[in-house]
Amino acid sequence: MEEAAKDIIVRYETLLKEMWSESAKYLGTLSTNLLVERVVWELSQEYPAVRLLKYGPEGISCAPMQVNEEKSFNDLEEMFMRFVTRYVSILAKLLGHERAEEIRKKIITEFGGAC
Amino acid sequence: MANNLLLTLSVRYWQEFQDTLSKVMDANIYIFDAQGNPFSQFSLPIELCREINKGETVTDSACLDFYRTTFNQLKDRELLTCPRGIKLCVYSLGNYMQNLGYMLVTLDTGTAPFDREKEMVLKAKAYNAYRTINEVLSALLEKNLLGLQRLELNSIYEISRLMTSITELDKVLDLITNALIIIYQADLCFVGLRIGDKIRIAQAKGESGHLLGGKEWALLHPVIERVFSQIEPSLLTVDELRKLTGVSHLEVSSHTEIILYPLWTALGIVGLLGIVVPMSLGENGKRNLQIYANFAAVALANATLVSRLEEEAKTDFLTGFLNKRALGFALVEELQRAATYGYPVSVIFIDLDDFKSYNDTFGHLAGDVVLQKAAEIIKSCIRVTDIACRHGGEEFVIILPGTGNENALKVAERILNSLENHPFPHRRITASIGVATSRVGDSLDSLLRRSDEACYMAKKMGKNRVYNNN
Repeated sequence: MEEAAKDIIVRYETLLKEMWSESAKYLGTLSTNLLVERVVWELSQEYPAVRLLKYGPEGISCAPMQVNEEKSFNDLEEMFMRFVTRYVSILAKLLGHERAEEIRKKIITEFGGAC
Repeated sequence: MANNLLLTLSVRYWQEFQDTLSKVMDANIYIFDAQGNPFSQFSLPIELCREINKGETVTDSACLDFYRTTFNQLKDRELLTCPRGIKLCVYSLGNYMQNLGYMLVTLDTGTAPFDREKEMVLKAKAYNAYRTINEVLSALLEKNLLGLQRLELNSIYEISRLMTSITELDKVLDLITNALIIIYQADLCFVGLRIGDKIRIAQAKGESGHLLGGKEWALLHPVIERVFSQIEPSLLTVDELRKLTGVSHLEVSSHTEIILYPLWTALGIVGLLGIVVPMSLGENGKRNLQIYANFAAVALANATLVSRLEEEAKTDFLTGFLNKRALGFALVEELQRAATYGYPVSVIFIDLDDFKSYNDTFGHLAGDVVLQKAAEIIKSCIRVTDIACRHGGEEFVIILPGTGNENALKVAERILNSLENHPFPHRRITASIGVATSRVGDSLDSLLRRSDEACYMAKKMGKNRVYNNN
């Protein structure tokens, strides 16, 4: 695994963790994990690596991606971007656009425009 | 076709496959989705199309209008000429049960005239492309549906398990609606609970969810009556949905599927579950959702029962005020809040004068009427944020959050005068009222005791008066 890929995973892991915990505040952990599962399923055909996301009652993690060093992951940045976009679009239906936008802005501010 | 319930398909991978097929067949292939929207890009460079559409995708409105009209009238396939003069073959993709989209095939000859032989070549190539693409799509669809069903069933299992173990009504309502929006990509999802002869929308999520919350529909409304006249779910048209009270302005696309599930348990109607989805759920989807609805009915029945019992456990039946048990919790909570935010809490202790003799003289039924009327009067003298409790017998306690001693005294005087001036049956009713305001370090017991002592002092000093213990 190239250093750049590792960096991308680390950067997005922090972002996903923040997104997960913010969503769980409003939706609860079960609905949040269901939302993650839905988005993973949607993207898994195009980006098989998304199946390596680990999620459960404790939160979300990219650890399995980081340990699979022998595999080369293409389009990681694109995969994470698509994940975040799709996630937020469903979140908007659940929380209303206003609150979803609040969460998106908060994440953008904290992660310096990563999404 | 890009991302819907029927087929989750990667456009990029599809394009690679389509381009390869185009090269092998030496024909241009182009795909539209089931709604007539462009899905893929031109596989072979047809200069005229590129020029008109300024790229590889159909964007020109005249072209789009032409194709959509063609798709609407198309049965299976058709050979035609586009408004720009290009001969093309159009096929409907999918099967007799489900339309997946449309395929266009052209030869790379632009607008050059077609003879009989060329037409036969186009038809043959289009047929072969159709057979290949349709088989690939069917296989993908099957795989997708299996994936979705796995997701659906897993989610239904997990949620049903959780739903029946949660007794907080709000949480159950949230779980039901969240899951349906996520699993089925619903535009709108709502749950109505039965309250008497009405269905009241207790939770609604999705695009226009905020417009539905709190709406009440009579069980005798023809649409609702139809929903509950059968065990199976009812499919509604947009017009039928809009006939329901308060939702005439609801924005729902005419292509959506609107399904209402009646929620029943052995005890009767619990409520209804409504879902508005952009694409048909199909028979399997509806059956899976029925399982979900059955669990939802049980979970809602349990949670509603618990919620009612909790409400009854803290309410005084005669006056509707909080009872003595709930008073303790409420006052502790207010004292904690007051300590955190640094504002005062006052307590007014009210004891109706000589109530025992009223009961003994005019009977307990008459006494109950006085208690009810006194509660009404007290309620009319306080703010909605104040908390009224029946302490027991003819004693009432009012908690006034954020109210200092001076204002609490004014409220107490208002109650005193209102009771004294009200024409109660048989004789005048007065009260002895004690007022106490919280001090630093006050506990539930100390504050309540000081207000009680003040009330006692008011009684001792001749009744029908307010005594301030500050």
